[in-house]
Order: sequence, then C-alpha cells, then structure tokens
Amino acid sequence: MTMSYRVGVDIGGTFTDLILVDDESGAFTVGKSLTTPNDPSQAVEDVLRDALERAQVSPERLATIIHGTTLVTNSIIERKGSKTALLTTKGFRDAVEIGREMRYELYDLFLEMPRPLAPRYLRLEVDERVLATGEVVQAPNHDDLEPLVRELQDKGIEAIAISFLHSYANSDHERGVAELIGRVAPEMRISLSSEVVPEIREFERTSTTVANVYVQDRVDRYLRGLERRLRELGFGGQLFVMLSSGGVGTIDTATRFPIRLLESGPAAGALATAYYGQLTGVNDLMSFDMGGTTAKLCVIEKGAPLTANDFEVDRVYRFKRGSGLPVKVPVIEMIEIGAGGGSIARIDALGLLKVGPDSAGSEPGPVCYGRGGTEPTVTDADLILGYLDPAFFLGGKMQLDLDATERAIKEKVADKLGVGVPEAAWGIHQIVNESMANAARVHAIERGKDARSFPLFTFGGAGPVHGFRVAEALHAPAMIAPFGAGVTSTVGFLSAPLQFDFVRTSYGRLDELDWAAVARIFDDMEASGREILLASGVAEGEISYARSVDARYIGQGYEIRVPVPAGRLTAESRAEVVAAFDQVYEQLYGRTGPSVGLEVMSWRLVVSGPRPELRLQVGAADAGGPEQARKGERRVYHPEYRGYHPTPVYDRYRLAPGATFEGPAIVEERESTVVIGPKGRVAIDEFRNLRVEM
Amino acid sequence: MTVADRATEMDPIVLEVLWNRLLSVTNEQQAALIRTAFSTILRESQDLACGAFDTRGNMIAQSETGTPGHINSMATGMRHFLDAYPAGTLAPGDVLLTNDPWMTAGQINDITIATPIFRKTAQGEQLVAYFANTCHMADIGGRLLSAEASEVYEEGLYIPIMKLFMRGERNEELFKIIRGNVRVPDEVEGDLYAMTACNDVGGARLIEFMDEFEMESIQPLADAIIARSEQAMREAISRIPDGVYENELWSDGFEGPVVIKAKVTVDGDELTVDHAGSSAQSRYGINSVLNYTHAYTSFAIKAAISPEVPHNEGAFRPVHVTAPEGTILNPRRPAPVAARHVIGHFLPNLIFGALAPVLPDRLMAEGAGSLWSTVFRGERANGEGWVLTLFQCGGTGARPTKDGLDNVGFPSGVAGVPVEVIENLTTLVMSRREIKIDSGGAGRYRGGCGQTTGFRNTSGKLWSFSGMYDRTKFPAKGLLGGKEGALGGLELSTGEEAAPKRRILMEPTAEMTSWLPGGGGYHNPFEREPAQVLRDVAYGYVSVEAAEQEYGVKINCSRRPDERISVPEHYRIDEDATRKLRARVGTS
Repeated sequence: MTMSYRVGVDIGGTFTDLILVDDESGAFTVGKSLTTPNDPSQAVEDVLRDALERAQVSPERLATIIHGTTLVTNSIIERKGSKTALLTTKGFRDAVEIGREMRYELYDLFLEMPRPLAPRYLRLEVDERVLATGEVVQAPNHDDLEPLVRELQDKGIEAIAISFLHSYANSDHERGVAELIGRVAPEMRISLSSEVVPEIREFERTSTTVANVYVQDRVDRYLRGLERRLRELGFGGQLFVMLSSGGVGTIDTATRFPIRLLESGPAAGALATAYYGQLTGVNDLMSFDMGGTTAKLCVIEKGAPLTANDFEVDRVYRFKRGSGLPVKVPVIEMIEIGAGGGSIARIDALGLLKVGPDSAGSEPGPVCYGRGGTEPTVTDADLILGYLDPAFFLGGKMQLDLDATERAIKEKVADKLGVGVPEAAWGIHQIVNESMANAARVHAIERGKDARSFPLFTFGGAGPVHGFRVAEALHAPAMIAPFGAGVTSTVGFLSAPLQFDFVRTSYGRLDELDWAAVARIFDDMEASGREILLASGVAEGEISYARSVDARYIGQGYEIRVPVPAGRLTAESRAEVVAAFDQVYEQLYGRTGPSVGLEVMSWRLVVSGPRPELRLQVGAADAGGPEQARKGERRVYHPEYRGYHPTPVYDRYRLAPGATFEGPAIVEERESTVVIGPKGRVAIDEFRNLRVEM
Repeated sequence: MTVADRATEMDPIVLEVLWNRLLSVTNEQQAALIRTAFSTILRESQDLACGAFDTRGNMIAQSETGTPGHINSMATGMRHFLDAYPAGTLAPGDVLLTNDPWMTAGQINDITIATPIFRKTAQGEQLVAYFANTCHMADIGGRLLSAEASEVYEEGLYIPIMKLFMRGERNEELFKIIRGNVRVPDEVEGDLYAMTACNDVGGARLIEFMDEFEMESIQPLADAIIARSEQAMREAISRIPDGVYENELWSDGFEGPVVIKAKVTVDGDELTVDHAGSSAQSRYGINSVLNYTHAYTSFAIKAAISPEVPHNEGAFRPVHVTAPEGTILNPRRPAPVAARHVIGHFLPNLIFGALAPVLPDRLMAEGAGSLWSTVFRGERANGEGWVLTLFQCGGTGARPTKDGLDNVGFPSGVAGVPVEVIENLTTLVMSRREIKIDSGGAGRYRGGCGQTTGFRNTSGKLWSFSGMYDRTKFPAKGLLGGKEGALGGLELSTGEEAAPKRRILMEPTAEMTSWLPGGGGYHNPFEREPAQVLRDVAYGYVSVEAAEQEYGVKINCSRRPDERISVPEHYRIDEDATRKLRARVGTS
C-alpha cells in the first residue's frame, strides 16, 4: 500500500477546512466543519474522518498532514497562556513595559498602551551584566538564583522567559540560568531571548521571548494531543505545522518556537496564491483575501510571498501600527485591512461616507441576514447592487432580506448624502474597494514594487465580489478567481516546502569583516538546518540554502535584506554584497545614499526541502461553454451604464476549461460570487480558474 | 466626465477616496525617511514631521506620527519658503532647506527640507505641490544642544532658506559648510539625504495618483480638504460655551521660575489664545518662538476638541494664537532658543487646564509635559568622539475615565532609544530603566508614573551630559480634585550638585541617576476603586503607605520576610479600616 495521500487542515475562527489529495492521481476531497474551540483537534479528527470515508481512503495511506492554527494568536489575544515570569538584567525589568515611550496616535488623548504578557510583579531581576561587545561585567550568582526559582515554582509559575541585555552578542548567562532552572524545576517551560530572536533592541526581543514561552505549553499540549488523536485513527505518516514564514516545520520546532506559528493560517492563503501562480505560469501576483471582518493582501514575487521580520499581536487599536505587542519572527508580509463584508457604513462628522473598521461580524451580521443587524454593511451594499442573489447565498442555504436592507441604506446613508439607494450602495462598494487598493499600493510600494504590474488573485467569501473593481482601481492587468475559493488556503499548506529560518546577529563593517568567521556562521547554520531536514526524511541532494544579510549604510538604524552568494565566502564576496545592496536600496528609495560604506547586522539562512509537487485533478464532466453554464440573468449595477443593467449569471461548476465570454457577468459558486464589469474578458483556464483580463 | 471634473464638485465619495490616497502618500514619505535615516534621533526617536502642501503652501496632509511641534511649525512655516523662492524661481530637482528658528521649528537643530513637485504636462513642467519634512539633526555645531547659550548665534550654524540641491545637483559649497561645522558630518549628511529622498518618494506617489485620476491640479482637492476640516473645527469650537477661560503654569525655568499664561476666548466658531502675562524672555535658551508657541497651542486645541479629523491647514484657520513680543513665548532675535521645547511642551497642559471646567470629560491633567532631553558626549578608549541625543518621558496626566500613561511622551510624539542601541553607539552603560513607584499623582484616575534611569561610562575618559530637564521644582498638577505627580530630579555619584539645565562634566568613573516626573491625577483619589488601588500596590506602582495616605485604602500584606517575590495574593484590603479612613476625610 503506497502512502500517496497528503492532507492540509486549516483551523479558522469559524470553520475547520480540509483538503485530502492523492499525489498520484491528483484526485482530491475537501471537507468543512465547525471549529471546536475547546479542543480544536476534535474538529480536525471529525473532518478528516469524514473526508477519508467519502474518498474511501484508509488513514494508513496518509503520508503527511500539514496543519495551520490560530491557537497562538488567540491565546495571546484572550490572555490564555501560561502563568509566565520574566528574568531580566538587573535594573531592566520594566524595559518590556516602558517600550519605546511613544504614542502611536498623536491627537487621541484617551489612547492606551499594550499590556505586557508578564505582569510587573513576575518580572524579576538577575544581578548580571554583559556589555555591547559581549564582555562580561557581572556574572549571575547561581546559588542566589536557586531559591528564587524554587519560589517561582511554589507560586505556581509555569513558564519563564529569560532576556538579558546584549544576549545576542553573548548568550552564556541566559544559557547558564536556563540550565539552572532546568535542574531545579524540570517541569518549567523556558525560553531564551538568544534562541528565540537573537537580535539587538531589548524591547522587541524580550516581548517576543515572553510571548513564545507564554503560549508554549498550550501549543505543545495541543499539538501532542492532535498527534495522539491522529495516531489512534491509524495515521502513520508525518505531522507538520505551517509556520508564519510560509515554510512548514516539525512538531518539535513548533513546540520550541511556537511564536513562529503566529500567522500560520493567513500564510497559507498567500502560499496558495503562489501555488496557483506557478501552476499557471504567472509568477508575480497580488493575493487578495477578503472575508467578513478583514481583508489581507500580499505580494507574490517570482513565485514566493515576500517575508518580513516584524509583527505586532494583540493591537489595542486593531489596525494601528505601534499599538500591539511587538513580535520579531519571520512572517509572510501581509497587510491587513479592517474592512470586509461585515464592515459598517456610516456618515462621519465631516459628512463623508466611511466604511469600517467596526464590523457587524457574523452576529448580528449584515442587515440582509435578518438576524437583527440594523447597520448597513458592505454585504448589504453588494446585495442592493445585484452582486449577490438574495435566493442563492451560500448556495441557497440562506435567504437574504432585500427590503430591510434597502431601508437601512436609505435611512443611514443615502438620505444623509442626498443620493439614491443604488448610488449610496455603489459609494459603499467603491470606498471599500479603494481602501483595499490604497493598502495594496502602500504595501507594494513600501517594498519597492509596483502594484500595477500584478494580477489580483482573489479569494475568501467577499474577495471575488470585489476583486474586479479593486483590480481596476489598481490598474492591475487581470483578476483571477481560483476554482474552489472556499478551500484555497488549505491548498497552500500542501504547496509549502519544509523550511527553517536561522539568524545570527554579528555586527561589523563590511570592509573590515572576517570572512572566514562569516563562512563559519553559515556553515554552522547550514549544518543545523541540514540535520533537521535529514531527520524529517528529506534527501541530502534536495536541500536548498538561501543566504542573506541585513545590511545598511554605516550609521543607519534599519537594514535592508540583501542576498549573499552561495558557495565559499571570501574577501571577494564583498563586492557582490555591495552591488546587491545598491540595487535593492535604489529600488526602494529611488537613489543610493551617501558614500559612507556599509555595515552588516545579521546573517540569515533559509534552509528548505523540495517544494512538493501538487497537481489537483479538476474534472469537468457536465461542464461546457457559457451557453451551457448560463443559468439566468439579473439586474446588476454597473457605473458604466450609470445604473442597473441586465447581466447574465453563470454556474461556475458548469464552465469548462477553454470557455470564454465577455463582461458584464456574474459567476456563482457555493462559497462566493465573481462579479465582472462590462470591460472584463473572461477565460476559464485548464485548471478551471477564472481569469478576467481588465 | 473625468474624476478631476468630479473632484471640482467634490462629491463626498470621491473626496473620501482621494483624501485617503493623499494620507497614505504621506505615510509612505515618513516610512522612507525612517528607513533611510542615520541618526538615532531620527530613526529611533522619530523627532520628525512629514507633510504634503498645495501650491499656496497650505498643509493638506501629514503622516500619522511625528511630533506636533514639528508638524505644526512646518505647516505654518511653509509660507516663508514660498516668499523666498516664488514658484517661478524653482525648477525640477530643486530642494530647499532652512533651520531658521523663527520661521520654522524654533530650534537651530531642526532643519526643514521642502521639495517642489513638478509634473510633466503638454505645457511643460508644472509645479503641482510641495512635500516637506522637519527633522532634528544629530548636531548643528555651536555649543551642542543645550539651554546655556545667551544668543542664538552660539547655538550652531544658521542656514537661511536656500537650495540644498539645484536641478538635482548637490549644492557642494553648502554641503562643505555644513560638514565643516558639525561634529558628526556623516550622520548629518546621511540624514539630509534621507530627508531629500523621502520627499521624492512622496512626490512620485502624488504624480502617479494625479495621473491615475486624471487630475490637472490638486487645488480643488486641497480646497475641499481644507474647507471640510475647517468646518469640522468650527463646529467643534461652537460646542464649547462662549466665554473666557484662563490658566497659568509654573516651570523651573533657567535663571528663575517661569510662568506661562493663557487666556482662551471662545466666541462662536472662533477661538483665540492669548499668552499675555507670561514671563519675559529668558537670557537662556528656553525661549519658544511664536511659530513654536503657535504649534503646541493649536495642537492642544485640536487634540481637545477635534481629534478624529485628519490634521491640515483647515484646523489652524479658526484658532488664533498671540503672545506679546519679548516674552518667553515670543522672544526677539537673537534670543537663544535651543531648549524651547522645555517651555513649549507645557502649552497643552496649560490650555487643558484653562478649558477643563467647560470640557470636564475631554481633557487630561498635567503630566511630565516637557520631554527630558539629554545630549551625552564622550570618547572611546582610542580617542574617537561620540555624541548621543536621548529623549526620555515621564508620566502623562490622568484622563477623566482612565489612568495616565506611564513613561509615554505627551505632547511630544518622539520615541526613546533602546538601551542596547545606546550601548552599541557610545561607551555609556545604563544601570537601570525602571518605573518609579508612587510617582503618579493620586486620583480616582492615577497619573502616569515616571521612570528612574542611570548612566555611567566605560571608556575611562572624561564625559559630559547636557540635560534639559524641568518639573524638578513645580510638579504636574492634578485636575478636579486629583493630586499632583512627583517631581523629577537628578543625582551624581560624586554627591556634587547637578543643575538640571547645564552641561555637566563627569569624571571617568562618575555616575548619574535621574528620575522623571509623574503625571497629575484626575478627581478625588478617595473615590478610586479600592480594587484598583490594590492592583497598583500588587504591581508595584503604588506603595502600601501611599495607598493608605493618598487613597485612604488600607492594604495588608501577608508576604513573609523570606519571600522574594510578591504576588497579588499577598495583598488584601482591610475593608473596615478603609471605610474609616475614607469616612474621616469625607466628613472633615
């Protein structure tokens, strides 16, 4: 019996989604079930059992299960982690609370700062000190610490973060104290800042380390429990976890560095976009995932999402930079916008129409759901505009209330602006699309990319409804709506390689570097990565290594990431790094800086296994051309016609590869509706993705 | 009909779309500035402002953060650039700058760079907008940033409005003069590059967006933005009862205590603040030029009554600020002005105190106010010199429904510098950075706490620091029954007296410790929820003694002498004693 099956599972806030794929034939089965918050592994088991049964596959034939979860984010937001203490250098227990002393909003006199995960009374100081050079001024007294650790144990502390000043330069003290704790209190969870994020800037490093150990126990118990459950089901393959960087990791790495799972669900959406791109030969894309309360955008370049190293969790002001706890981990760079189908429209103090960030959520939801919502939302506007069919929402599972929706938009928006209901609805639709396009543009430009060159890849419940007009606002060449938008992100899990990120801070001027030492750093990181991948079953020849360095002009405070050549590093490598730096810098800021030379901060390595082959078999038995798929016509608002216009409605499941037609058009599937404006030209590709040329 | 045509009518939906686009452009401008900056003061502390201006020199958008003293003084200072270089005298690639304190940010260290943005049209290159930024330079020569000068000439190199780049070419002569006058030429030149590049980024994005929306000019958009914002500001002013509201605030000053006064007159939809009666201008550098006084006064009004409307020229129009010439809030040239923020940062406290009786649910009590800035100077063992400017913040005042913030800048918007960055760039070693217990003023809502920090030097060489510290004599007052915050202070390991606003020379092994002021409380502390007091005690923000004396809450602690960790379980409110304590004061 061959183990040819792979499974991707995404535990979202509402639903647990699954895809089961036979890598030999490409046949796949999808499953969906309500998430079980008390024990999320329950839903995983249920949905897996069901999918296996429907596909008539025995669990023994599963080679790998790859899993994404919002557990880490939720544990932090809901403050449901371990009782956590922090050990710091003497004099600095408040560094993690004092932070950067800066207001993130200038005019709001009532703002609040984020609360650290370790309360002040559990932040304890150790009389030790290392200087910036790594030189030791004061070594910790272990005899004195032992009773302190016992006391922490007695007081029910379950986890300890250790973050000493300059530990990125010299980690001896952190490691020594960790050994002591391990000896005295073997049950204690411990995280070292020099292991979690060995980088300069104590506030961010400490905040990340505390978050890591704070969620560790919960993640560990959950993942072990899940693994046990799967084993009991007869699963004999490997269980992997999606990391926020877009790679997948083993359960062991995930439990050591659970903070790296922070954004694992959204990361999968970006990867799915990359996968579809590779499949169809479009390597540069912008992913656009719009759901009920938020939307996420991500640039995919050369087949891979961009990654960054900063993130914030648990923001006091959800979309305000600086209002959350900083977390420094490799993350797929996404921008999150506080607008989705449930976002509320209102007229503000200036008499302008605003949409979001407050949302009607799923309860009571938009007015049209008829569950008590009274504030008009984006989904309500979409209904008025004819984009949604009141009788075919969620494939007809839910009836929408058109009359109540009209009344709400009239009263709350149209009358106040002195326009008609359709114009008000179009205004809501347009403003939300503009926020998406603005965010996409800033996101692209901050990374030196031009949003106009990227086709927009839309998914999520509301993505395909808005995608066409967002693409238009961005001047994007095309919009793509994948087949099966509802399970898109699970596909991302299966297209991600096994991957690990390493970083070593080692400050130096580029022209004074000891390249032999740099070579040793990379050798060391490469050996660690190789070891993990070999142990996970990857063949030596299939491992790839991507080196980079964070460099800047001497004296600057922020680095840019620049590729480092493969192979043996020597003094000759300097010129290559300088050339790469100039190129990246000029692309970002339009000009190179003054001639002061370069300095390097951190050496980075990404070690990856091969990207898995994934080819889904999308049958099209009863599908054909547009005539066959046409299921009717309805009046739909298009500004080009200055109002409503009869628009054909197509059944997505009956559109076969090769079908082409012109806009305006509506294409319906169970989880979403694709809206196409009059200027769009539609073609269904061989994988049944719908591509609209703008 | 093009969007530009529709913009003239300014359909509210189109306006919303374009306005947001403009705001995101200034955010990009700021992001580019920080990412490419060299000095810690810019890249870590973000002592900066970024904004977009129409061709008449009106600010139409500012970036999200930055510091109000820079934002507003840049906004109102732009007209000087237009006067010095009318549109006809500018060409693509020209970049203007000045550090004139009276025209711009009130301090010779702050350079403003303004870039005219040109767009190619059928009629040739057309000036469509300006992008500007104001940034604090790591050094500008003179006697280093300090309050000790007696004339502005001593404070550093003065740069009248002139061109830094001409048609894209560096003004080599000017660069030579600047480099020759500053202690850290590479940092300063690097920052000037960053400031130039970020305006370019803003300009390029603006052009793209004009092309996309087929806009010939941004003027209709600018007019609509300003008109709407002005309207919102006027409506907010109208909601304040007409009348005259006065307040005064005392600060340590330099040669002696300084009083600043405000008489706020609300008349329909216009508001005037007159600072008459404030102290005469100082012989030392704590004078706040009128443009800077205007900046913080108008900031205070905006934050108090209309915080939600994006900030631009419209917010200034109904607000008038006056101060008699020759006073500390409107000094005559060549008064020294380098430490003008010491006084200027108290202006929001002053204004809030005046308006609190009529806006009791909107304002904050006095806080540490003035940012504590320090310029450290020293050398490495090999003799190479270094300079570091550091900003630190005390507590903010309590709010009507919330405690103050511990160690967060207000009204300044700048950030601190990480210990590890300080120790990497200099030979300083910090001994601590900790929240100071009992420094927040008592109140139903407590004032924010200050912090205690300490520094020593490892290079074995002499070093120095020049502090610009205030509230070491006059604490932050509470509001409506709230108590005052703790004073700030300064101490040397040598036991010598240390003046809070002078350059102090330090022996190689000497150490300095400073503690920053706390914010004032709001409402009577005896009305504070005992559970909140208990929490503050358990967390170490308030001592058991202060809980009893200041809040009338008796807390018993069951911690044994051998326990080194105190946890909330150790503390319990003595309900009876608390009732008695609070009743006694209630009846007295």
